[in-house]
Amino acid sequence: MEILTVRDLSFKYSLGDKDAISGISFGVEEGAFVAVCGPTGCGKSTLLRMLKKELIPMGDIKGEVLLDGVPLSEIDARTSASAVGFVMQRPEHQIVTDKVWHELAFGLENLGLPQDVIRRRVSEIASYFDIEDWFERDVADLSGGQKQLLNLASIMVMQPRLLILDEPTSQLDPIAASDFIATVRKLNTDMGLTVIMVEHRLQEVIPAASMLMIMDKGTLLHYGPARQVCEEVSDRPDLLAAMPSTVRLFKAMGGQGRCPLTIGEGRRWVEGFGCKVQPDFKAFDAARDETPDNDVPALEFSDVWFRYGRDLHDVLRGTTFSVEQGEVFCILGGNGSGKTTCLGAAAGLNKPYSGTVKVFGKNVRDYKNQTLYRNCLTMLPQDVQTVFLKNTVREELKDAGESAAALPYDIESLMDKHPYDLSGGEQQLVALAKVLASQPRILLLDEPTKGIDTYSSERISGILRSLAEGGMTIVLVTHDVEFASRTADRCAMFFRGEVTSVGRPREFFSENNFYTTAVNRMTRGSFKGCVTLEDAVYALKLQDQELSAVEG
Amino acid sequence: MRSFKDHNPISVFVFYIFAIVPAMFCINPVLMCISLAGGVSFRLAKDGLGALKKMLPFFAFPLLGVILNPLFVHKGVTPLFILNNNPVTLEAVLFGLTLGAMICSTVIWFSSFNSIMTTDKLLYVFGSVSPKIALILSMTLRYIPLYGQQIKKVRQAQIVTGLYKEDNAIDKIRGGLRIMSVMVSWALENGIITADSMSARGYGAGRRSRFTIFGWRTADVALAVLCAALGVVTSVCMGIGHLAFEWYPEIVSPGMSAPAVTAYIAYALLCAIPTVLQIREEARWRSLQSEI
Repeated sequence: MEILTVRDLSFKYSLGDKDAISGISFGVEEGAFVAVCGPTGCGKSTLLRMLKKELIPMGDIKGEVLLDGVPLSEIDARTSASAVGFVMQRPEHQIVTDKVWHELAFGLENLGLPQDVIRRRVSEIASYFDIEDWFERDVADLSGGQKQLLNLASIMVMQPRLLILDEPTSQLDPIAASDFIATVRKLNTDMGLTVIMVEHRLQEVIPAASMLMIMDKGTLLHYGPARQVCEEVSDRPDLLAAMPSTVRLFKAMGGQGRCPLTIGEGRRWVEGFGCKVQPDFKAFDAARDETPDNDVPALEFSDVWFRYGRDLHDVLRGTTFSVEQGEVFCILGGNGSGKTTCLGAAAGLNKPYSGTVKVFGKNVRDYKNQTLYRNCLTMLPQDVQTVFLKNTVREELKDAGESAAALPYDIESLMDKHPYDLSGGEQQLVALAKVLASQPRILLLDEPTKGIDTYSSERISGILRSLAEGGMTIVLVTHDVEFASRTADRCAMFFRGEVTSVGRPREFFSENNFYTTAVNRMTRGSFKGCVTLEDAVYALKLQDQELSAVEG
Repeated sequence: MRSFKDHNPISVFVFYIFAIVPAMFCINPVLMCISLAGGVSFRLAKDGLGALKKMLPFFAFPLLGVILNPLFVHKGVTPLFILNNNPVTLEAVLFGLTLGAMICSTVIWFSSFNSIMTTDKLLYVFGSVSPKIALILSMTLRYIPLYGQQIKKVRQAQIVTGLYKEDNAIDKIRGGLRIMSVMVSWALENGIITADSMSARGYGAGRRSRFTIFGWRTADVALAVLCAALGVVTSVCMGIGHLAFEWYPEIVSPGMSAPAVTAYIAYALLCAIPTVLQIREEARWRSLQSEI
């Protein structure tokens, strides 16, 4: 039984000059889990909004959307509000009230349900989502992951039949994101809830999804069972970039046979190549192996201790490490391990109570009157929206005194847009352009790939590499192991306010069991030190050649 | 187990209104003593002997009244001594003492009010007027910390990106204005998401109801009714019995007329309620605890 039917749907924004989506038709079976993906600006978010009556934007609609065979426009407001649930990207701004319990009750209050019905439903949902412990807390005190879980719970309390999620995990760290996806998956299997989810963490979503939809330029490119679509998808780099590593490796090796979706399947698939020859990855590391020759480190922490308040606990506990000039140094680690605090200490925002932080051999404290930030060090905060002050990208750059032509990348097409209207990846590029205006010698970045699709994150990785080759020192904090493995000269593991291990990406990730790339987890049994997609392709091709040499 | 503070916030609120307001309009030493005794004994019952130390500074008010009032007011028929050619009168001293005691008892009642009536309880009390007001208050309380955090982030971002001077006061004012203007567009931009989230969950689809985590039990209703009854009796008797003292030129007490005695008894019973409930709960808890 189809719960949702979309027939020949086209939509043009009232201010737009062409269709945002055009001629889309598909049906969703009750209980299905549909994953939707596609490059930025392909119309995924517009399509999702067309499925929720209350969120349909202003513009011209052609075609129809049927829920249980009834056109959306004919469904009354109360039924529509509860039948279709919608979770958005930013956890912070979907929350309406100040207390967790009030947020859970908000939707039911809107439906005008009596107090005892609300009480029953709220307590039921609070125990299902295991949020009894923070039921009476202020929402302001919750972590990002808890906030998004609360958003999901406060929609599930309305007992929807169709749940729509628009990149719900893009602002979460990997652990919180997999918890969130696991919860959605559980709702799908436990309750038979129909789910439509846009995601760029496909590695985790695709194994859960029964159907996969790929969109491009406002049209439906593929729609079908997940494995089938993965096998059929074309080799276009921007489409492939969004795919899980297993699928990308499968495609890179010619795409014959059954496509592996999970890491486990990927492992067996790699083993199928025989894997007799150990590849040598030296050639890949040549560019990144040379140790820069200079006596003064760009950034040096020695035995740094820091806490936010006299009575609070230590966040940095004897942090010691040094970053050479011209290298890209990635700090990885769990949530609350002190990574961001450490970056704040390097930028002089957090003043340690013991130990020293030196920038180019000079104590950060001795840089008076902001000289630290003049042509020396600059930091791009995690929430890049905080950097934007003007109404267009052009004014933004003018304000910073930067010309688009001087940038190592092209943002000409974005110049007349409002910074808030850009996609996550574009925002990151514009913010980066702005901070580069002060011509820093050290660039600090906090989670530069948060909320960004893989294609943009690969682009940012390339830009950072070229900046580093120009002599800039880059220190970045990230959760994104794939990004770190591609970008870093050296990686450091941060745990409980200390650097517990430092190493070149290849050794660093091959020694880690959990904190490592999907490719490394797939090839761990077969090859040593295989970390990135390129490594794996090289290694597997080597096996093929060996095989044909033996046969020949 | 429910002590006074765990009752429905409306009952608790009703109590505080009747305990504080009537006494404020009637400068009567007997009422002041009752109010003070009630307030102090409740704090002691609730927080233990340590509360005594915290309440001590409040007793500066009667002392200040005794010293300051006679310095400015020279009415009264019983001069005690002459200071700077002005008489210091007994009437002025006693009025100062009573007025100081009134302020002291009010402050002590408020100190327990503050620790019991947290923001969510106050929200519940004022939100009872209408679900709309409840929602507006709740959203406001949500936005204050959210905006505060964002302002802090924007400020830090401006410092570390090194694009703006912060050398003197004018630069700092400019920085402040920049933050103000960016906060306005940030709030509008993200307000759209909140608005979407509200309409997606059926806001505006019809008449709203209101959910609270505070319920009404028999004891809550009884407490509210009792407090209101005692409070009304006190107020009415105050009205017909003219309980207010005349202080100048000569102290005239209203005496122990029937309405006055009724008012004193009713007010004393009212002020004793929280202490009695507190002690009773503790005693019950102790006896129950011994059986665990």
